[in-house]
Amino acid sequence: MSADIDTLLPYETGGDIRRRIAGSLAGFALRGGSLLAFAALLVFFSVAAPFFFTLGNIGNVLGQSAILGVLAIGLTIVIIGGGANVVKGGIDLSLAANLGLSAAVYATIISAGYGDAVAVAGALATGALIGAINAAAVVVFGIVPLLATLAVMNVVAGLELVLTQNTVVSASSDLLSFLSAYGPFDIPVLAYVLTGFTAIAAAIVQFTPLGLRLYAVGAFPEAARAAGLPVKRIVAGSYIASGLCGGLAGILSVSYLSGSTTGAGEMLLPVVVTALLSVVFSRRLVPTIGGTLLSTLLVGFLTNGFQLLNISSTLVSGIQGVLILLVVAATSLQRGKGAV
Amino acid sequence: MRMSPTIDNSKLALALRGLVKRFGGVEALSGATLEVERGTVHGLIGQNGAGKSTLIKILAGLYQPDEGSVEINGVHHDRLTAHEVEKLGIHFIHQDRLLVPSFTVGESLFLGREPRLAGLPFLDRRAMRKQAEDILDKYFSLRLPPNVLISELTTAQKQIVQITRALLDKPSILVFDEPTAALVRREADILFDLIRRLRADGITIIYISHYLNEIEALCDRATILRNGKDVATVDSRTTPAAKIASLMVARDIDEMFPKVAATIGKPVLTTKALGKAGKFRNVSFEVRQGEIVGLTGLLGSGAKDLVRVLFGLEAADIGEITIEGEKGRPRSPVAAVARRLALVPEDRRGDGVALGLSVAENTTLASLKRFTTFGFLQRDQEYSEVDRLIEQLAIKTDGRFAPVRTLSGGNQQKVALAKWLSRQSSLYILDEPTVGVDIGSKVEIYNLIGKLAERGAAILVLSSDLPELIGITDRILVLYRGAVTREFKSSNTTPDEVLAEATGAHVSRHGEHSHVG
Repeated sequence: MSADIDTLLPYETGGDIRRRIAGSLAGFALRGGSLLAFAALLVFFSVAAPFFFTLGNIGNVLGQSAILGVLAIGLTIVIIGGGANVVKGGIDLSLAANLGLSAAVYATIISAGYGDAVAVAGALATGALIGAINAAAVVVFGIVPLLATLAVMNVVAGLELVLTQNTVVSASSDLLSFLSAYGPFDIPVLAYVLTGFTAIAAAIVQFTPLGLRLYAVGAFPEAARAAGLPVKRIVAGSYIASGLCGGLAGILSVSYLSGSTTGAGEMLLPVVVTALLSVVFSRRLVPTIGGTLLSTLLVGFLTNGFQLLNISSTLVSGIQGVLILLVVAATSLQRGKGAV
Repeated sequence: MRMSPTIDNSKLALALRGLVKRFGGVEALSGATLEVERGTVHGLIGQNGAGKSTLIKILAGLYQPDEGSVEINGVHHDRLTAHEVEKLGIHFIHQDRLLVPSFTVGESLFLGREPRLAGLPFLDRRAMRKQAEDILDKYFSLRLPPNVLISELTTAQKQIVQITRALLDKPSILVFDEPTAALVRREADILFDLIRRLRADGITIIYISHYLNEIEALCDRATILRNGKDVATVDSRTTPAAKIASLMVARDIDEMFPKVAATIGKPVLTTKALGKAGKFRNVSFEVRQGEIVGLTGLLGSGAKDLVRVLFGLEAADIGEITIEGEKGRPRSPVAAVARRLALVPEDRRGDGVALGLSVAENTTLASLKRFTTFGFLQRDQEYSEVDRLIEQLAIKTDGRFAPVRTLSGGNQQKVALAKWLSRQSSLYILDEPTVGVDIGSKVEIYNLIGKLAERGAAILVLSSDLPELIGITDRILVLYRGAVTREFKSSNTTPDEVLAEATGAHVSRHGEHSHVG
């Protein structure tokens, strides 16, 4: 028997075919278009603002993007493991509040006279604990992630207020000075941190069996279960990983701001936007760590370019909004769910 | 009744004996036995509710039997778990293809047992691609581009990927659960060839299907389940399909169908050469005033889709629908209702009634206009109509304000019917009207259907309960793979005969095959 299955006609109606063609066109436009737009943006800023395309400036943008990038990578892991459905899928709204509390814990421990090791452990443990609470709410109690992490976000934000009495806790330590300094090539250390962290996260998520399983669990939990994967454990792990990212971002933010300050919650929307944008930078239109880095940098370069051109940076958030609308619309179309 | 001689025990790959499984008070299996000889293709057939899926779930380690024994390759197993079953080399090819759409073929094949780069924690994507190519080529002479995504495959290709996944584990027993449900004829043929090759390789295959012609073409032996028991195990190559069909149908049809003789009037619904790609084609029939027409077909026969098209839930591609002399296919349920069509859907909890609303609100939901003056509801008019219907249909409820949620299944169904009675529709489409309804309410619903016909309504009943269909209808149309293959006069047929038609036994009889292309 030679099963020449390639020649079999797909079993679909005219409507299906039309939808598929529209879908793959949208996908192609999205993938090619977004990279092209990114490149065009870089070229435009390079021409308009000569300082833009210098090693120093690019390093600065990387450094300024570090906190956002680490948080967005955490959220990306959760979205991969929970599925990209915006309403029911994986999301961690507590990330920004997590950053706030972890930063407060770090700064408080330092200002109480303890060393960096204790403070780092405290901040990371705080992040991991918040992640574990999210994981329990989602996996054990079966609460929709959107609601579960929203509730945890409020609790965490409240704890931060209790801990800091809504004031700035300034802190300085060897680690903080090191992180806020400049490294080789006059590039901020934070830029190296972001690059290194992305590399580690990408290695785990994109190149290990664990990462592949994370994708399977998020995209089709029944299939993952049928393949014998511990679905609940993997989902829980994604929230804990995201919590750790929150803790790490907290440490970075203390170094960046020389202390813990209030208002970390304002990071939430940029983080969500950045993680959602990630999909346009991948071949299969799924969230990836590399894609998240690119979308972090896109936002970073936009802000930076506008500053260099003396354009109000408030425009950036408007542009982010438009990008999100485009991305969500195009990905829904690509998945053939455009017509409700 | 055992039609084949008992098989030598040492040749058995699998023996499930005397299985009993109860869910609450209901016995899903009451002493079922399935013995499968090593290296054969063994069919498992039975109507819905015969106990096939319970039996398979016991074999899969998902349910524990209340009584009976499980023997695999001569070894007795108590309390099998899903994990042990897999270790024993038993694999299941599910009806729904459990594959991640955004994965490549290689990733799908190796998910959960990924090859790694030597000494490193990283995926060996090259090995994954290479092995995927090799194994697909080895088993199926199939060449797929290594990086093609699952979402880009046809249904048959996805099924092959899933089978290959199972083959990677070197299974000794493969269970196919309704594998052709979503396949077109040519794809099914490829699958059959494949199954024969697997048998030649010494793999034991259990093949579950509704389609008798597939059982005849493919299986060495077949076990027929009915009401939770194995009624026979036959040599399926020599046993006529009609014989198997008759074994599948229960014989105890009691006199529960009060048939009222109604005067047959003008046609209410006429369809001409109605077709929808991939669903059904060339469907022409009519339903007249006072007439009750039955419609039946297996899952995937197109019967459900036909009903959805008639009610405007889906669009047909070609053909004509005439309702009360007016041509035109209903474009939406709203248009269908405006033309005095009524649909009582099968999923009454999802579509038929609003569970949280009261009996009164549900009853008049479709006909509020009648009780509205200057935009305001006339409650007293509404309630007197509701009370009249509650009495007429003998709906057991704590009054008109009781939420429908509190009613029994049969009474919920009566509310779903009352909704349309209060609108006085001219054509009623009833989709599985008595599913999940107790016997008492069934008879009341049959009576009601009879009364509707008596009052001159045209009625189309879609049902897979054949004794019921024969009992209450005048004529029965059978859909098989998208075409009306036969029409029976209800007074002049038997459930066996109708079932044989619906399951494709006629196909082997005529030596031809019809299907949707």
